[in-house]
Amino acid sequence: MPQALKIAVPKGSLYADSVAALGRAGLDIQGLSDPGRQLRVCSGDVEFYIVRPSDVPVFVSYGGVDCAICGRDSLEEAALDVIELVDLGFGACRFVVAEPEAANRPADADYQRLGVMRIATKYPRITARYFDQQGVQVDIVKLHGNIELAPLSGLAERIVDITATGTTLRENRLRIVSEVMASTARFVGNIASVRTDPRIRELAQRLGEHK
Amino acid sequence: MAMLPVTPRGFRDVLPEEARLREGIIARVQRRCSLWGYAPIETPTLEVLQVLEQGGKLAHQPFRLFDADNELLVLRPDVTLPIARMVATRLEAALPLRLRYVQPVFREQEQLQAQARERTQIGVEALGLHGAAADAEVVLLLCEALAACGLRDFTVAICTVGVLRELLDACLRDSDLGEDWRNRVLRACHESNLVTLDGLVSDARLDARYAQALRKIVTLSGGGEAIAACQAIATPLGCADGLDELAASWEIIEAFAGGHVRVDFSVMSAFDYYTGLVLEAYAPGVGVALGSGGRYDGMLSAYGLDAPAVGFAFSLETVMQALVAQVGDDGQPQTPDLQTVEVVETDPVAAFRRAGELRAAGQRAVLQVADEGAAGAVTTGAGATAAPGAATATAATPDSATPAPAAPGATAAPATVTATAATPASAATAVPSTNFGTEVPECPKR
Repeated sequence: MPQALKIAVPKGSLYADSVAALGRAGLDIQGLSDPGRQLRVCSGDVEFYIVRPSDVPVFVSYGGVDCAICGRDSLEEAALDVIELVDLGFGACRFVVAEPEAANRPADADYQRLGVMRIATKYPRITARYFDQQGVQVDIVKLHGNIELAPLSGLAERIVDITATGTTLRENRLRIVSEVMASTARFVGNIASVRTDPRIRELAQRLGEHK
Repeated sequence: MAMLPVTPRGFRDVLPEEARLREGIIARVQRRCSLWGYAPIETPTLEVLQVLEQGGKLAHQPFRLFDADNELLVLRPDVTLPIARMVATRLEAALPLRLRYVQPVFREQEQLQAQARERTQIGVEALGLHGAAADAEVVLLLCEALAACGLRDFTVAICTVGVLRELLDACLRDSDLGEDWRNRVLRACHESNLVTLDGLVSDARLDARYAQALRKIVTLSGGGEAIAACQAIATPLGCADGLDELAASWEIIEAFAGGHVRVDFSVMSAFDYYTGLVLEAYAPGVGVALGSGGRYDGMLSAYGLDAPAVGFAFSLETVMQALVAQVGDDGQPQTPDLQTVEVVETDPVAAFRRAGELRAAGQRAVLQVADEGAAGAVTTGAGATAAPGAATATAATPDSATPAPAAPGATAAPATVTATAATPASAATAVPSTNFGTEVPECPKR
């Protein structure tokens, strides 16, 4: 009797699309439509775990779950060992560098004189890698949410954040300076699970066929 | 304020219960490898960084330090590179060689990653041996070693990197894609990032046949049919390097591995030094590989000796995690009961002699000295008790102590042996004692 297949589903903006994709792939997702405060939903030989998006790579990498749906943003930031199986296409967003529309002084001018720029972000690893590639020296401040406040308050000159439509940035009078990378939702598996449990590759196949 | 008496992060003490389990596993695995003709070796804890890097890219971040000569040293992050160095420089004449080892390795890890920075590697290297039979030998020995650890449920996934390397060579030859593209494909394969791989092979400059082959091959897994499927894809493109050899190994492996081995072309592992067979071992309940290995025919030549080599290594700690996860495991060593012999002040020699006799007979005997815990103790007087199932022993002394209370389950009529019965002859003929417990069944299920 095989053990239940453990699947992590990300809370938040990817949740509805993730559940729909799992449904199209033939899984029984009834319990996921309104789980209430329940964080684990059992359905036949599948167990769903409803996990905070940035924690999904941790659950997968350490084998807490066998597989998961997870945004590329979280995967890149966590930089943990997982097997990336399918690009699911939904949850598209962009990582961008942004600064206030009406800055007193342009950040570039300050950078000329100071030699370093302060960047606020929820994604310090992606941010560091991007600016290293650009050859720009930055001091990175990690925040946990509402990154837009950092340049508005003067905490940092610029931010690196994800945006789907750009609305939040516009409403906070921030403009995009450059693009860091694009992200979509991925189906990922734990290395040991993928190599030992054929159900994961089968699920990957079905998810790929029913995008 | 005094510092908390802690160990460095990722380094830890091993207390007796765990240490005994480790000792038993190591002894059984070493016995297995010895039966296959592998000889033990040790390499130094510290190596010269530049010398190690000469053999290949270090797959793990090592601890570095400068010594008094200003030499940049590393604590060994693995054992394969040091063995390649050792064999190429000191054992050339002895090839072919089959070597085994149990050594700690040291690797830097970021904070809060739940990763040890010191772990014990158990492994073998077969040097100067090439061909399918040598590959099969190493795969089968890994299976026997994992079974000797007490694991019942594990999988060894094998494939060859030859086909991927040839395909990429052909891609570069027949298009204007460059080294950068090749490296990105190799990294995507190493990370098993099929999404990135798909993006890279969708490059318009690449012939569609190669793109299709690269996409398909990494999804193949199973048994001999997976190798055949890979051959069907790669042979028309002239890129079937290593597949015949893998098929020949598989024929041997399949006959003896008891279903523990499968072919999986997604195991395009890893380190750039692998040239043929690659393998990884997994067990349920553990999210990481127990160990890995493969063929690295180019590494010794980096040290000036042109000789092939193949080997594996696994982490003792990860295997123990898997053992704990496998409920009902019966691979744990049974430690024979421990007998206690009290040292009586008036005649301590008798107790030492008595304990010596017990040990000569293959039993475990601990001396109870001075004020050591009295309850349940065996005395060297007329009355004595033993732990359940063990023969009771008595060292006869003139002024016998009162009999100690019998341990639960002790035999009603213990056999009594007197201290004077011990002679050098009887000790010499006795079975040698062991601390490792009994051997467990050693072979994988067949």
